[in-house]
Amino acid sequence: MSGAREKKRAKKMRNQPASVTLLAEPGPFSGGGSSRACPSPGDVRSEQQNLQQKFSNQSSGPSYRKDHYFPKGQNRGERGRGRGGWQGGRQSVSEEMPKYITVSTFAQARAAEIKAMLKAVTQKSSNSLVFQTLPRHMRRRAMSHNIKRLPRRLQEIAKKEAEKAVHQKKEQSKTKCRKARRRHINLVAEFNRRQRKNIWLETHIWHAKRFHMIKKWGYCLGDSPTEKCYRACYRAMTKHCLLQDLSYYCCLELTGKENELLKQLARICSIDTGLTFEEACCLSGRFEGSLNLYRADRYPEDMLGPVTFIWKPRDGSENRHLWIWMHPAVKQDILRELQAIFQCSEPEEIYIPEPVTSIQEEKQMDVVLSPGKKRKKEDKEGEKAVPVKKIIGDGTRDPCQSYSWVSQATGIVISDRTMEILRYRLIGPLSHSVLTETLKAASLQTEKADSETELNNWWVENCKDSAKVSLHERQSAIFELLQGISSPSEMPPGTILGLTVGDPRVNLPKKKTKTMPDFKKFQDNDKVRHLYLAGVPVDCAHSFIWNQDICKNVTENKISEQELNHMRAQLLVPGSHLDLGPSESKIPILLVQQPGKVAGEDLPGWGSGWDIYLPKGWGMAFWIPFIYRGVRVGGLQEALKHSEYQRTPHTPNDFPDCQAGMQFAKELEASLLEKFKRRPPAKRANYVKLGTLSPFICPWGQLTKNWEGRMIASGEFVHPTSPHPDHCATEGQSSCGPETEVVKESSPETGEVETTMEITSSEDALKTEDATGTQDISERDQTMTASDFIVLRSQKVLMQLSAWCYPTAGKDRRIRLISRLGQKELTEDVFLPMLMRYPRALVWVHLSLLRKGNPELHAMICIPTKDDLLRLSKDKLFCGPQEPRHRDIFKQKVQKLKEEKKKKKKKDNMKAIESDPTSFPDKETTEEYEDLILGLWPDALPDVTSHCSRTLLGYVTRGDFSLAVGCGEALGFVSLTGLLYMLHNQPADKKGLVLLRSPASLQYRFARLNIEV
Amino acid sequence: MVRFKNRYVLCEVVSEEPRCRQCIEDRAVSLAVRDAVGRVHGDYGLGCVSVSFTGGDPSGEPRLETRPGRASSGPVKYLNAYTGVVLLRCRKDACGLLCSALPFVRQLESRNQRYPCVLNTLHIGGTIRTCQKFLIQYNRRQMLLLLQNCTNEEDRRCIQKSLLSCSLTEEPSKSGDEEDDDGTETD
Repeated sequence: MSGAREKKRAKKMRNQPASVTLLAEPGPFSGGGSSRACPSPGDVRSEQQNLQQKFSNQSSGPSYRKDHYFPKGQNRGERGRGRGGWQGGRQSVSEEMPKYITVSTFAQARAAEIKAMLKAVTQKSSNSLVFQTLPRHMRRRAMSHNIKRLPRRLQEIAKKEAEKAVHQKKEQSKTKCRKARRRHINLVAEFNRRQRKNIWLETHIWHAKRFHMIKKWGYCLGDSPTEKCYRACYRAMTKHCLLQDLSYYCCLELTGKENELLKQLARICSIDTGLTFEEACCLSGRFEGSLNLYRADRYPEDMLGPVTFIWKPRDGSENRHLWIWMHPAVKQDILRELQAIFQCSEPEEIYIPEPVTSIQEEKQMDVVLSPGKKRKKEDKEGEKAVPVKKIIGDGTRDPCQSYSWVSQATGIVISDRTMEILRYRLIGPLSHSVLTETLKAASLQTEKADSETELNNWWVENCKDSAKVSLHERQSAIFELLQGISSPSEMPPGTILGLTVGDPRVNLPKKKTKTMPDFKKFQDNDKVRHLYLAGVPVDCAHSFIWNQDICKNVTENKISEQELNHMRAQLLVPGSHLDLGPSESKIPILLVQQPGKVAGEDLPGWGSGWDIYLPKGWGMAFWIPFIYRGVRVGGLQEALKHSEYQRTPHTPNDFPDCQAGMQFAKELEASLLEKFKRRPPAKRANYVKLGTLSPFICPWGQLTKNWEGRMIASGEFVHPTSPHPDHCATEGQSSCGPETEVVKESSPETGEVETTMEITSSEDALKTEDATGTQDISERDQTMTASDFIVLRSQKVLMQLSAWCYPTAGKDRRIRLISRLGQKELTEDVFLPMLMRYPRALVWVHLSLLRKGNPELHAMICIPTKDDLLRLSKDKLFCGPQEPRHRDIFKQKVQKLKEEKKKKKKKDNMKAIESDPTSFPDKETTEEYEDLILGLWPDALPDVTSHCSRTLLGYVTRGDFSLAVGCGEALGFVSLTGLLYMLHNQPADKKGLVLLRSPASLQYRFARLNIEV
Repeated sequence: MVRFKNRYVLCEVVSEEPRCRQCIEDRAVSLAVRDAVGRVHGDYGLGCVSVSFTGGDPSGEPRLETRPGRASSGPVKYLNAYTGVVLLRCRKDACGLLCSALPFVRQLESRNQRYPCVLNTLHIGGTIRTCQKFLIQYNRRQMLLLLQNCTNEEDRRCIQKSLLSCSLTEEPSKSGDEEDDDGTETD
């Protein structure tokens, strides 16, 4: 029974009289229901006197004798007990029962009963309102509304009831009518109030009408469209164009001297992982780069998060500008680290943060304006309130904090330009056509439109400079050329093109149309070919968007939608092209090519597109024209799918080694657990029986630790006595020459390793390792103590692993690969140092299922046994082995606990009834058992790797049926140690085959594992 | 309103033996009543009467689950050992069976003690509330009778005092929905 019902009943029973018995001995039933139902104290006190009475036989008038048998007040000791009236005096009745009754006790007993009954009768018993209890003939119309229609004796009660009802009702909002609420100033104030906690993007209202919105990372973001979109968005990505608002990404701008910047930045990234900030083509400003940041000098642990960066092209001055774009989830960590390495602690005072003032202004306005005064202030502050909506602060930043920091020593300035620059992403082959059709390069302009306004001031100035004019012309020429390129993936990855464009709202098509590429422009002339090969020249990457003053000017002097519509209405021929002439705004933008899928072998260039960077305030002005070109809009879910098909890790889901990733995993676990608990217990999956140790979170730390333990414990892995060594050797001979030589060369060292075999003495092995082993041992030791695990991102090692993952026999693909990559054979002397160096590493892998199966989140990646592989090769229809059902060893425990709990509860209740009704069942005892849930492992997990019949290798972080490939695909991490162990023991033609098992199933499925670099 | 209609039988335990009153408790009374019904009407009667005996609340709503140790689960909804009043509940159509069996209750037994007694039916009502109202009237009548038949002065004062004490006084109650407007109704 629910507590509420109990309470309700208790309330109802409060005034009901309890049964009264003589308390000869405290029997179990002596109290009856008195804990709740006893009359209030004091009404039957007289009964505690120990005087008895005797009934006569007559019912109407009982006869009685007036002899006192006992003296009065013999047993008054227990008077003070507060609750029940009747049960007060405990007497030993059985021994000294009176023979006669007395008048006074007889009368008192009846008096007390009358009183109790009166109490019960007079209070209303039901939950109904007063007027409902009236007999029907006394009911009147509108009685509930008008108290005076009730009989006068009930009016008091009804009044009380009415007051209570009013209290319970929700308070009505102060602005009553819709018209008032929709008035512009009120609307803006309301919007500002609503985005105080979670910042809105400029396209928020557009999104809110069409998307499921979720609050994340301090923003309100569109999760996925409300319409059917799964396949449509995929089609848009592959065949047409998908648009996404990425304005929530955070931008940090670093300004300073180039070598000063580079010196410090080199500490937080590593050449091992691929690019660094120093990459020549990126440094010149021609290309955008992307890399993973680590805490200073801590590579390969303490991952901070992935970023992309753009250098501003050199413009003669000493100071360089660098934009670092990152996901809001990882922003705070990176910002703190950057501040630390550049020693930028003091906020810069010169730059008055605009959003701060505007927000404060808004707040003041909210406070000051009482409803009566609103109209007066409207013309003064109301106008101000309008731009307030557009100049938006940053969700991840405290609005009162400054967002620019300067270093005294080096003069480097870090400024937070989040939400200052908007960023849209166009994905798909037709993003070219959409871009070129929507945007038109700005026309040159030599005279001001209006001397009063600052509109296009900067552009006029600019057009006086012939060098800049020619640059603009070159930029627009290249932009025109883009139309002749069929897919953005044909451009060099990360190409940057700066541009100044006219107002895109002017050439809005009348109807929403789907842009198709213009085949006439697909000329194969020299210019286009030159663009393919050489890319966009350095100087064309320059854009005025780097200049904050110009951005501010452009933002402030935007022609409002209203004005534009007004001008349109005044056209002589309705619907004709609106020519704004000199007053047309010029907007500096930056176009950055997104390379799409570069790693791996299949689907090259899938999901490529363009990112467009705009100054703030122009969000909707660009958004709607894009929509009118027939793009489809995606939300966060679509971004996730995009990265899944691209097989790239998605921030922050797939970065388990950075803070944001851990946070994300925790939140995911909590939400999954909650969802699990919401089901009735009989309908839940029993994960203990299924052999799934942690269905809601991936225990990476334990996985790596267990594998490390296995490696140390099992001698057979270190010296393989099984037929593997000779098979390796034979294979080495069968493959091309140089590899065998390598094997032979390093064989003495192999022996050495085998003899030492311990991690502590692995220095020699490390030295034998080639260039990758640059870190010294002391640091490595720190690694092991400090963090649980790392994610392997060293390109070289990954490349090698990737080559090893392919089957060597059969199609003979690997020889080709080896010859291409110059890789070594998979032998101990190669991988042992690797293991020594990264004892607890995870590797990002891609899995595609061989036959049936649809991988799920947190599916387990396991090593197939020899039998499995044998059956796979024999039986065409063999889908995979089954995990034998496990026994639920916790079931009894859980049940026992449950029963105990129940018993205890019962006992508590009994106790409560018997002795003190106010005592509650202790809360501690109930809380103790909370964490034991049937079907889930309690906290301490056993060895995760060997829990099931197949050895566990890793977990899937994302998995689904892939529309791009047409089979189930999964992305996840596996333990490096485990992976090497598996590859080493697998036969040549079956290398890279693993088993996948979803957490809620016993069926294993075969999948091919590969590492894409 | 759809509900099971009940009848509440208000009766009085009459016994020569004053010690009988310690037997007046839930279990003893219900056992005695069941026993009588079983004897008179057999299993059928026992079944009919027992249907409503299984738990319930005074408002008459049927309550299917029994909660031992909480509410009085037997037929006895209220009893007062000092005055010997017992309130029994049964289904409306089984009322005849119960009433006809009540005179056959001859003794109450508890704690291995057995006392002869008689159940004297005072009132049959449709709700507990009417029974309570009747009980007020009944007790009042008895008190007045007592007052009239009083012989010595001390007793008279005693009775008057208790009469005065049985009026509900205005309590400073926190729960605001109690209404105490009945001080005048009592004598």
